Amino acid sequence: MESGVNIICFAASYAVALAIEVVGGWRQIAWRRWGLLLATTAGLVAHTWYLGRRVAATPAAPLASPHDWFLVAAWLLAVIALAAMIHYPGRSLGLFLLPATLALIGGSLAADDEPLATFAATRFWGILHSYCLLLGFLAVLLGFLAGMMYLLQSRRLKSKTLPATDGFRLPSLEWLERANSRALGAAAALVGLGFVTGVVLRWSRTDAVRGIPWTDPVALSLAAMLLWLLVAEGFRLLYPAARGRKVAYLTTTAFAFLLLTLALFTLYGERLHGVAAPSQPPSADGGQA
Amino acid sequence: MNLHMIGCTHRAAGVEIRERLAFSGAQVGDALDRWQQSLPDTELVLVSTCNRVELYAATPHESTEAGPQELANALLSYHGVSPASVNGQLIQLENREVIAHLFRVAASLDSMVVGEPQILAQVKEAYQAAHDLGTAGPVLHDLFQASLHAARRVHNETGLHRHRVSIPSVAIADFATRVFEDFDDKRVLVLGAGEMAEETLRYLHDAGARRIHVVNRNEERGRQLAEAWSGDYHPWDDLWEQLVAADMAIGATAANEPVVTAATFAQHVAPRRHQRPLFMLDLAVPRDFDPAVGDALGVYLYSLDDLESACRLNRRARAKELPAAERILDDEVARYLAAAHHRVAAPVITGLRRGMEGPKQAELARLFNKLPQLDDAARGEIEQFADRLVNKLLHPPLESLRDAAREGPPHGLLDALRRLFRLED
Repeated sequence: MESGVNIICFAASYAVALAIEVVGGWRQIAWRRWGLLLATTAGLVAHTWYLGRRVAATPAAPLASPHDWFLVAAWLLAVIALAAMIHYPGRSLGLFLLPATLALIGGSLAADDEPLATFAATRFWGILHSYCLLLGFLAVLLGFLAGMMYLLQSRRLKSKTLPATDGFRLPSLEWLERANSRALGAAAALVGLGFVTGVVLRWSRTDAVRGIPWTDPVALSLAAMLLWLLVAEGFRLLYPAARGRKVAYLTTTAFAFLLLTLALFTLYGERLHGVAAPSQPPSADGGQA
Repeated sequence: MNLHMIGCTHRAAGVEIRERLAFSGAQVGDALDRWQQSLPDTELVLVSTCNRVELYAATPHESTEAGPQELANALLSYHGVSPASVNGQLIQLENREVIAHLFRVAASLDSMVVGEPQILAQVKEAYQAAHDLGTAGPVLHDLFQASLHAARRVHNETGLHRHRVSIPSVAIADFATRVFEDFDDKRVLVLGAGEMAEETLRYLHDAGARRIHVVNRNEERGRQLAEAWSGDYHPWDDLWEQLVAADMAIGATAANEPVVTAATFAQHVAPRRHQRPLFMLDLAVPRDFDPAVGDALGVYLYSLDDLESACRLNRRARAKELPAAERILDDEVARYLAAAHHRVAAPVITGLRRGMEGPKQAELARLFNKLPQLDDAARGEIEQFADRLVNKLLHPPLESLRDAAREGPPHGLLDALRRLFRLED
């Protein structure tokens, strides 16, 4: 961008933080914690600056285009990573959160940065729809990461990996199970709300595309993911004893749906939403899936 | 500064001697009170743990009434132990040796299990007891505070305390905490009532575990252990029910064969747990839990062999941290000595400043009388000039004093300054 802050700046900062986290797992580095915090904070500052510039350039941002959508998701995940580093300094949570952040930034490079078409719907429903899906997708991602950590920690405990040789300290199984369950519940609620608001948005249109686009691949994959999340959450609520490993597998599968939805959103998002005409001012309700 | 330490530690004295010389909490107060009356000018602190009994003493000058022999007699006579019976097992340290030793003790470098955390609290309590009784004065206050500071530095700047080396501590701190976030709501089941189980319960209790359940064939011993930890006793027949409900199970029976086999676990326990995590510690020899039980989903089983391997690795990891800890202690001892030597020079420095202050004030008063036309600003300037002059005149001797204090007590230089500036007058 004009300010000189571009995606490479904050991606590089997060990559440096990740490198410190990885190296810190193999050998003791006295400045590990401060290095991690510094690199992640630097990345977040640059990231915030970049998003701020986007908002200044396109007032409907930060969710006006798939590109912005990915970057906002990455920004939220980086904030969570920084909070985890501060709150749980002895645990290698960055090892999982930072690669996911970088992957989302990578996704933004492939995604279209043209603002999506505006709808003849209220701004309220558009914003609600966009943010619910954003936060819902983030919850699925966090649930997946917590599930992966759970399975890894469980495997290490089973194989009796000794603490002295164990440089990467993960949270306890109990903590991970709690995080995983909460993420699943939150994901089901947020994606469900996002889906419903999307339906409302489409029904409120008065033009030719009014109605639910059941043939649209993004809408179909989102509906499939929502169905899976509801089944998984229902299973968790009905069988509270079936926890830990089973919930980890459920969230892992939900993540597969998420990947599919994101891929389709990146490739075919404009088919569903259309691209705003250059003369039109972009609006905030552009993130409908 | 005259420091002495008389005592016995696990390094030089056998357990029978340490037991005979050990002081209970009440005895510490009584002994210090008694010694204070016989050695009124001596500061005293008594550190008594299961691995050491050490009497620290400080006198303002070379004292004939509180020398090593007198302190040894005081220590031995309290318990009616004859000097001949501890021949060669008492250690006597003076001045620098005392400082270095106490720093090592507080930092847990002199402990039987190097890096164990309890000793710091014990040293702190020993000083606090002496302080409350009024037997610890300014010299021992500085010494013990410095030792606590040094110990904290070792704790914060090295990984010495991170690697636990006893079986129960490794089991709880290094393994159980990777399964459970906290222990206050966890149901702990103890099979049998062995010593190892009791020690593990102590660690668990410290970690917050409160729901203790004991299953034992001998009801009396089982109830005894359960009551000691405010837990519940269950008859042996309830074993499967209790295993289904438990979050942690500690095997410590004297059975000759596994009390929980893979088949019985699969039949009575696993189907009703639905893979809920179960942390199992097998502390019995021979084993209480068939190793194949650990293959069940949600079960994390550790035997003595697994824990001993972890302890061995931790010991190696600790050994790597020792040089760094030693460097910190050397640094802290040097710093303490320099500060102590500097404190010796403090009266001379104060005397020097006071000696200059009088003539300065007198000369300023005479000058201001002769020049009454001076306004406040001019007077202020002249006063500042006088202050600067005095400081500059004092700077070289004070710097020399500081430099000399780094090497040791600068007695020669202090005498010279006293005579040159007639400070004794």
